[in-house]
Amino acid sequence: MNTIIEARGLQKHYAGSVAVKNLSLGVTEGEFLSLLGASGSGKTTTLRMIAGLEYPTGGQVLFQGEDITHVPAARRKMRMVFQDFALFPNLTVWDNVAFGLRLRINRPRVSSEEIKVRVGRYLDTVQLSGHADKLPHQLSGGQRQRVALARALVTDPPVVLFDEPLGSLDASMRKIMQIELKRLHRELRKTFIYVTHDQEEAMGLSDRVAVLQDGELLQLATPEEIYARPESEAVARFIGTANILTGTVQAADGGFVLQLPGGALLSLGNGPSGLSPSQAVTVMIRAEQLRVNSASPQAGGGLAARVAERLFLGDKVRYELELAGSGLRLTALNPNSAGLIAVGDPVQVLIESSHVCVIGRRSGAAR
Amino acid sequence: MRHRAPVGGRAVSAAAQTPRQERRQLLIWLVPPLLWFTVFMVIPYCLLFYYSLGSTEYMTFKPGFSPANLIRVFRTEPYLSVLLKSARIGALTALGATVLGYPVAFCLAFHTRTPRAKFLIYLLVIVPWWAAYLVKAYAWKTILGTNGLLNALLLKLHLIHEPLTLFLYNQFSVVLTLIYIFTPFAILSIYAQLERIPTSIVEAASNLGATTFETLTRIIIPLSLPGVLAGGIITFALATGDFIAPALLGGPNAIMISNVVINLLGVAFDWPMAASIGIVVIGVGTALISVAHYLEHRSQARF
Repeated sequence: MNTIIEARGLQKHYAGSVAVKNLSLGVTEGEFLSLLGASGSGKTTTLRMIAGLEYPTGGQVLFQGEDITHVPAARRKMRMVFQDFALFPNLTVWDNVAFGLRLRINRPRVSSEEIKVRVGRYLDTVQLSGHADKLPHQLSGGQRQRVALARALVTDPPVVLFDEPLGSLDASMRKIMQIELKRLHRELRKTFIYVTHDQEEAMGLSDRVAVLQDGELLQLATPEEIYARPESEAVARFIGTANILTGTVQAADGGFVLQLPGGALLSLGNGPSGLSPSQAVTVMIRAEQLRVNSASPQAGGGLAARVAERLFLGDKVRYELELAGSGLRLTALNPNSAGLIAVGDPVQVLIESSHVCVIGRRSGAAR
Repeated sequence: MRHRAPVGGRAVSAAAQTPRQERRQLLIWLVPPLLWFTVFMVIPYCLLFYYSLGSTEYMTFKPGFSPANLIRVFRTEPYLSVLLKSARIGALTALGATVLGYPVAFCLAFHTRTPRAKFLIYLLVIVPWWAAYLVKAYAWKTILGTNGLLNALLLKLHLIHEPLTLFLYNQFSVVLTLIYIFTPFAILSIYAQLERIPTSIVEAASNLGATTFETLTRIIIPLSLPGVLAGGIITFALATGDFIAPALLGGPNAIMISNVVINLLGVAFDWPMAASIGIVVIGVGTALISVAHYLEHRSQARF
């Protein structure tokens, strides 16, 4: 697979603030890549620099190996779907979609018959054939979104950029459009670069997710990998519900255990390579990997805890737990078929060692 | 069980008002503006109409009910031709102010990044209005006159050998001065419209491959049309009715309709004729503004 777009050491400094610090990433041809981050993480600025709507103060943007850092937006082979759709309010739906085909940049000029065919086909694709003569303000949010999509796709660009395109839609429309986007990506086999702050959206739609924070790339990997093996606490916290624990490694028969503050022991199994006794490490355990059982007096193993809060979520039950001895807080998501445990009850928390992911370590002895 | 809460009931009626009380209060608020409008607009218009239907005998007004004067506006020279000339000067001013004002408004709306720079340009546009109109008109006299700045400059550059008289006391000098005076109105009304265009629309156009020229002609200018029309109406109306510029810089060839009206009032004491011209100007003006307003409304895109 070829890298179609590459960012090399991208920087964007504004007077007095930094939007993007030093960002490098490669986008593979044909993939659906999401830039995921909270507001102010630099994800939109990065996308706009790729589009040429903003110029970086440092670093390069490459398109198929060619430096396009200073190529104006109009001459880049990418089309963008804007957050506010940015439809031309003075043009009908048809003319909005046809806009890109009627410009001088098309050499040779696109014939009017071909414009008719292509605009018609893409309006069909986004199911708006019956609305061609309407003006943007006569459409609903979802319909405007589709016009913006058709307008971006009609010129057949190799790369399509999305700047939080579903942000202004209501929840049900957003779900419909997500499936639509996924289908379009599969059918058109174009490269999609998608900016969002919604981790579920990023995970669900993308082939790969780039997690950004404070203008830096934290991790770029498949959704599965980011979910199971986050490389940092920030990534772990940003995606899903994670429990982050810090403790000291101790050798035990058949592997390692992690001694938590308060004395509780958490089995690490054989652990990742490079663990050594009395090392301080940070681990992450997904909330749904915690098994919460009512404590029976004779049962051993697991961590002793008490239910501090219980939230019934329908298919799941969420427990906020307090570890005995240390008072450390854990969050557990259990399937509701496991039965409900009352607030205040003592419980046993079972964690399989394979679900404990080491995300940070300090060499040498702790304290 | 039906029961009334006397205390609570009274408390409610004290806080919220009945519709009738509300209407009465609204009326009190409306009286001053209505009074102002009646005394200074409606009554004068009626008086104007009343005067236009009368006639003069030995330079004194004689009431009557004859449309003769109104007909005279169209039949007797020089009224109609002066009226048309005034309209032409007004139209040229509107055109000039729009052509000069558009780029400034465009820069202000799209190419001024910092609020400080924006404020500075804004200030430069408005500052000339702190000086009296009369002073500015005189300033143009000293620029365009026989011994004026322009002639001095051309002499210095050896482009001419003796001062030219063609700059001053003609329609050119009147239009030039009026354009200078009224361009800020065009700038501000075009800017107000351009300011409504979201930046993302301009970005979308360039993202789709449009050149600056294509973005301008296909998107920005059509979207700014209501502002252009509004600015055009204002500058046209102000310039057509102007009397200072033609009086100071116009010369015999650039007499405008207001000068004629002033002469009829102050020199000829023909008030009915002056009033008739006023009625015609107001009528034509209202018609033009209505048409322009309709076009403005039609061309207004909804964002």
